[in-house]
Amino acid sequence: MASGMIEILDRGKAEIHFVSPDDFREFVKNKKNRGLRNKLMEEKEAVKKFVSNGDYIAYDFSSLTRGPQSLLREIIRQEKRRLWVCAKFTLYESALLVGGGCADKIDVGFIGWIPYLLGEAEKGRVKLYEWSNGSLTYRLLAGAMGIPFIPARDLLGTDIIKHSGTIIIKDPFSEIPVALLPALNPDVSIIHVQEADIYGNARVYGPTVATLETAMASKKVIISAERIIETIEFRKNPNMTIIPYYLVDAVVHAPFGAYPGGTQGYYEMDAEHYLKLTSITTEDEMQKYLEDYVYSVDSHEEFLDKRVGISKLNELVRKAEILEGFR
Amino acid sequence: MSVVEFTDTEFMICQAARLLEDNKTIFIGWGIPQVVAILAERLYTPNIVQVFEFGAIGPQCRTPFLRGTMGGPQNTYRSLQWCSMSLAFSYAQAGYIDYGMLGAAQIDKYGNINSTMIGENYEQPKKRFPGSGGGNEVASYCWKTIIVMSHESRRFVERCDFITSPGHMINGKDREEFGLPRNAGPWRVITSKGMFDFDEKTKQMRLIGVLRGLSIEEVVSEMSFKPLIANDVIELEPPNREELKVLREEIDPYGLIITKGKKIKMKV
Repeated sequence: MASGMIEILDRGKAEIHFVSPDDFREFVKNKKNRGLRNKLMEEKEAVKKFVSNGDYIAYDFSSLTRGPQSLLREIIRQEKRRLWVCAKFTLYESALLVGGGCADKIDVGFIGWIPYLLGEAEKGRVKLYEWSNGSLTYRLLAGAMGIPFIPARDLLGTDIIKHSGTIIIKDPFSEIPVALLPALNPDVSIIHVQEADIYGNARVYGPTVATLETAMASKKVIISAERIIETIEFRKNPNMTIIPYYLVDAVVHAPFGAYPGGTQGYYEMDAEHYLKLTSITTEDEMQKYLEDYVYSVDSHEEFLDKRVGISKLNELVRKAEILEGFR
Repeated sequence: MSVVEFTDTEFMICQAARLLEDNKTIFIGWGIPQVVAILAERLYTPNIVQVFEFGAIGPQCRTPFLRGTMGGPQNTYRSLQWCSMSLAFSYAQAGYIDYGMLGAAQIDKYGNINSTMIGENYEQPKKRFPGSGGGNEVASYCWKTIIVMSHESRRFVERCDFITSPGHMINGKDREEFGLPRNAGPWRVITSKGMFDFDEKTKQMRLIGVLRGLSIEEVVSEMSFKPLIANDVIELEPPNREELKVLREEIDPYGLIITKGKKIKMKV
């Protein structure tokens, strides 16, 4: 090894979504407004304005807990195309996006057990890139920090490397191999929270997965919230502000926005509906599901009204008995 | 003398629970490891600190355990800390997490795990799995990883079709040569029939225990590679009444997990 050179030991061959730190900074400088503006809008408008065909999309938390499911259904309803999905810690979102014809590339952290999606992958109908929950989260962290990559000690030795965009170098400090994970700056992220104000300040209660990192790393951010609260509430308890308003482009008031998953402190997941989703195997079943629960309604409100119903919603609210830490 | 009836899944869960150490931290994977940790906490290791990738440190998980509640209120109840995923994994990367516990679709004799795909060609998988999840990080970072999996020939293979999470040796090279943390890696494999460790010298999986009533041959014959066999293979006790009571009445009363697998009847 020539002195002063860092040695590349191995590198993955997969395509990556990568934005250089300066390009991201430029975007933030020119396109992200630091003004205190009312960003409250309908889900339809938010998705229309801020999700574009070909976008790289990320979301936070999981399919079962505080996932942005009403926004996801709106994306499918608006027939967005060629999305590239960051599937960290997820169970069924990728399946629905692929079923809806919206997504054709997935960075795999965990894509869940839905036979439909696994079948599509077996047939080669969707392009998968291999990562892991941890590496995707570290990539978002790097994107949030404004640095081009982050060194980490996961993925080493595995077959994931060649199907990812990881580079292995000999670390010049410790002189042992280390993985360089490229920063991830999604075009758009969708995040469901318990509380937000009209400007985009947002709080989540419970574990966060990558709420702040995801919002901070993304060019466009849509928040959906169970409750819209006054800005003064954030100033009274600033420790609880997870997302400051200037990261956010749109705020959607979406009670039960995580349905069929649950939201801590509000309602439990709907286990029956979840079972319905996870048993989707064929194209017909997928299209029927999408027709029944996505295309045949015009909005999240209509979905709750006509496809879920007040008695089911009340039942899920009653089941959310554990409130400690969530209010 | 009485008769105890149990499934081999119940055996596997109980055997794994007996292995855990109190006053240690353990990174818990999805599904069976969650049940093992709750059982251990109730009966053997009240001060164990469960760590979850979504960012829960030290929860006292509520029961009954419902499959799929990972990250929800039941599973994050009375945690010591709620945090982010990058922090949860960083605890492990920095050496704070003593144990890890994972399931596996396929494992090889060096403890490499496949959670990605079956088949010779990655582009045309015969079977596709959901992917690493946090399994890669758990197997890479935790000091001692315990793998809990059902004992079937197709799952115990000479070489994994795809290495998702690292074992001790990969393509003839020690894991440390790839830069993985020193002195860490798979520590035990608990199956529905027996228990394995890894030989210090050859790094190969070694049979060290079999469920009472089974012969070594019966266990080894259902593996696609020949494991090493310890000089003194111990007999593993079937689940005891207390374990079964907690499992069936408190943790999994709906039998979502524990009723799966082969039923076994044994005189005790």
